[in-house]
Amino acid sequence: MGFLNNTAVTLDAILTRKGRELLARGDGSFRITQFALADDEIDYTLYNPNHPSGSGFYGEAIESMPLMEAFPDETQIMKYKLVTLPRGTARMPVLSLADNQITLTQGASTVVSPQTLNYLSSATTFEPSGYTFTISDVRLLNSYVAAGVDTPEVQALNSTSTLGTQVSKTVVGTTLSLTATTINTLFGAVNTTLTATLQIVGRDSGARLSIPVTIKKKN
Amino acid sequence: MSYKRLDPEDFLVSIDSITSTVWSGNTPTLTTFFTSSTASSNDEYYKNVYQDSSRTDVEFAISYGDKLGSGSVNFNDLVPYITPTRTVYGQFRNLIYGDENTEFNFGGTDSETFWALTVDRARYKEKLLPGTFNISISGSSGDGTIYLTDNSGMVSTDTYLDCGRVYQIISGSNGTSHDGGTGYSTTQGSFGLFLPDISTLILNPAAIAYHTGVTPNRTSNSAGDNISLMFEAISGSIAGLGTGFKLNSEETLTSDYVFVRARNSELNYSENPSFISGSTGDVLYDSFINSPQSYVTTVGLYNDTNELLAVAKLSKPLVKDFTKETLLRVKLDF
Repeated sequence: MGFLNNTAVTLDAILTRKGRELLARGDGSFRITQFALADDEIDYTLYNPNHPSGSGFYGEAIESMPLMEAFPDETQIMKYKLVTLPRGTARMPVLSLADNQITLTQGASTVVSPQTLNYLSSATTFEPSGYTFTISDVRLLNSYVAAGVDTPEVQALNSTSTLGTQVSKTVVGTTLSLTATTINTLFGAVNTTLTATLQIVGRDSGARLSIPVTIKKKN
Repeated sequence: MSYKRLDPEDFLVSIDSITSTVWSGNTPTLTTFFTSSTASSNDEYYKNVYQDSSRTDVEFAISYGDKLGSGSVNFNDLVPYITPTRTVYGQFRNLIYGDENTEFNFGGTDSETFWALTVDRARYKEKLLPGTFNISISGSSGDGTIYLTDNSGMVSTDTYLDCGRVYQIISGSNGTSHDGGTGYSTTQGSFGLFLPDISTLILNPAAIAYHTGVTPNRTSNSAGDNISLMFEAISGSIAGLGTGFKLNSEETLTSDYVFVRARNSELNYSENPSFISGSTGDVLYDSFINSPQSYVTTVGLYNDTNELLAVAKLSKPLVKDFTKETLLRVKLDF
């Protein structure tokens, strides 16, 4: 008879780039209050509910896989979060946008209004807590403003200015207004476009969508 | 919901002391000693000591200080007694006492001279660990070889100077004297000062000379080369009964532990694109409708505004379903 392993698994955490930024700011914004779990790297098509050896082997191909170390870039990790949904859920919440990419000329503006499908017993809905919008490089935008959620925490986040080189910026709201930069120096001598990634996450559902943002140089 | 709030009892702050050997290559005791084979303009002030002949990593440096400037040559003969040894004396006096009128005091006995051993900064992270200092110094007379340590194991209250904690260097080993006494004579004073917070050891020439015959040259305006004298006293002991130079360092590591708990009914579905079939959001397999299986690979720690502050990865995927609860302990080091 063996002993059961009753110890908790201990993991060593690293600070993300955003975590280091907030820690350096020293204004109390580096305060861990919640957690999420994610299954980045997992390919569920490897799960085999028809495995000839039985149900104990359905996840065989997934459970023994070695995992990669953590990345400090907060936009490239915790991409696919685990979510709490009622048992019997047949359809997962997914985000819907009018366009699957954003292309702006220098100085031009647009508004992003995501909706969530298959959530809160409705086919299409706006999530009550809004959406988290993260742009991977805030330098590409003159204006990056979210609206529609007015809690004190969200207002504090949305009013925070981010300075630095190639840093991400996160805002929360139900809609996002963005205006492309008018600064030419970012393009360098030869580039005619700049690209970044806009990541949208439903704050209630955890549904996630990532779309490319392209800024075209005005001649 | 994908975010779960942490309760106050989910946080634990732990402060641990991590100790390790000082010397490069994790060598517990230095038994081989080399100085540079080429002359340096700093030789009058200090000499670096290496543990191998390739001389890659500096282990510690030896200096000699003299209040009257003896044992080295004047910077300028028009200004007598201002020499490198005088400079070193003032430098260490300022560092240790913060008072330009104080003399070095070894266990109640004042001294105008000293040897200083300073551990190279790359050899430790924070400070030296009292009670681990052991060194042997040998000469040609008196007791021949003496074995020195600090008296941290014999004092109930730490004593402080301007540079932090100070312990007397005494005859003994591992923080205690060899005979249960003070470990030094009040006539010559203690063998020196062990200063763990600035990683420095000050040796008292009077006590060392009495027991080993290793006596610094205090001739005015003369290159006494007292640094080499101490180097030979430390390294020469190895050929005889010496134990070498043993020293450990200490680092205070503050860790935050966050306990992450997911109950059986929580976090069983995934927003992973491979969990979904097609663009409508249908789960990949029918069996996932009532018995979903998700696999935890990553833990993210967030602030109130859902900004990802820290992240931890598991070594292999952890199954989560309606029959399993998850408890993970995430460690954050600062």
